[in-house]
Amino acid sequence: MKNIVTKAYSLLKKSPAEPDHSKRSFMGGVVGAAGLTIAPGVMLYQTAAAKPADQPVTDEVRWGMLVNVDACTEDCTACVDACNDEHGLWPDPESMTDSQWIRKLKVTDTQTGNSKTFPVMCQHCEHPPCVDVCPTGASFKRADGIVLVNMHTCIGCRYCMMACPYKARSFVHEDLHDQLPDSPRGKGCVESCNMCVHKLDAGEGTTACAQACQKDGHQAITFGDLNDPQSEISQRLKSYGGAQIRADLGLNTGVRYQGL
Amino acid sequence: MKMTTTVRVLLVSLILLLPLAAAESSKIPPPKGDQCVEETEWMRVHHFETILHQRDETVKKGIRTTKHSLKNCISCHITANDAGVYARYSDKEQHFCASCHEYTAVTIDCFHCHSDRPEEAVRESIEKYQKDGQHPHHVTHSSTSDLILNSKLLTAQ
Repeated sequence: MKNIVTKAYSLLKKSPAEPDHSKRSFMGGVVGAAGLTIAPGVMLYQTAAAKPADQPVTDEVRWGMLVNVDACTEDCTACVDACNDEHGLWPDPESMTDSQWIRKLKVTDTQTGNSKTFPVMCQHCEHPPCVDVCPTGASFKRADGIVLVNMHTCIGCRYCMMACPYKARSFVHEDLHDQLPDSPRGKGCVESCNMCVHKLDAGEGTTACAQACQKDGHQAITFGDLNDPQSEISQRLKSYGGAQIRADLGLNTGVRYQGL
Repeated sequence: MKMTTTVRVLLVSLILLLPLAAAESSKIPPPKGDQCVEETEWMRVHHFETILHQRDETVKKGIRTTKHSLKNCISCHITANDAGVYARYSDKEQHFCASCHEYTAVTIDCFHCHSDRPEEAVRESIEKYQKDGQHPHHVTHSSTSDLILNSKLLTAQ
């Protein structure tokens, strides 16, 4: 387990793929230090808060998530349960092939015996390998950074599952019944975390897992706009940093881990 | 010999008229509201075009206007019957979409993935399964077998 989690603070610091890094320096050069903190923040916040239903999503927002690994407790599955309920996954403990959109991992340092537990889901990469390999274009990245499967064009070849370094995707092997209206899913398609797009498009600005974690009092998951320097997630990333799993791949993930 | 032919003709006519009779005697619960988002006559012919157009807009661009969304179709057209039950797509008599698709011999696969009932009805079913100790995905409904049977019949014809 340990080898898939790379401590990469030094890499992160130098990585050109860090969220918004190049954009911020560019903006800084153009508008100057005073404009940097106010003008982009205000503009982006308005876009994130209320997108009219008839307008397409834009790249002014990039949705991301920061998981505080130290606040995540081993016996809690609130995020996983909330995801299952939100998307109607109804997992069957007896099935070997049930879909997992989010799961809890436990990693142990074999030298010190120190264990950490945290949720892993689709990392919503800026350069997603699943999109690169998809033969039909069904795997795609939305303008706001969410990586999705267009199930209308997915042929179920599972190339994306092999390409994903995070094992974040699942294939539906059996006929399904009683799917929920906001999460259509069916046999023969690959699926994964969609960052609750239906909630984001409705302007809720959060995900089921983040809400559940807040409600449970752990507050380990911060969800927000990585492009907005004033957002809580950007502020937390600035203060505490956030490691990427397998940062060496240079995928610039939208999901970051604090304390890993 | 003559009698047999007459009986045969009668039987064939009866079989041909059966779907019509079934459609007329069906009890589809009334939809919500007085007026569909488009003219009924136009919708009968073109509803799938609007749904097809909107699906790409929604999946790729996040455009979620309700006027032509499948979710909106379902939330208005699929209502509870007198017994408080929401018909599944497998119910060819009471499900609004299924009744007409059955009559016109159209086989679609929207409802393999998309919900055939409003969310409250699905959640209600799930609660019932959980009370009965069943698993939602392992409960056998006739929908899938019906679809397979239909496609087999169509191939045979």
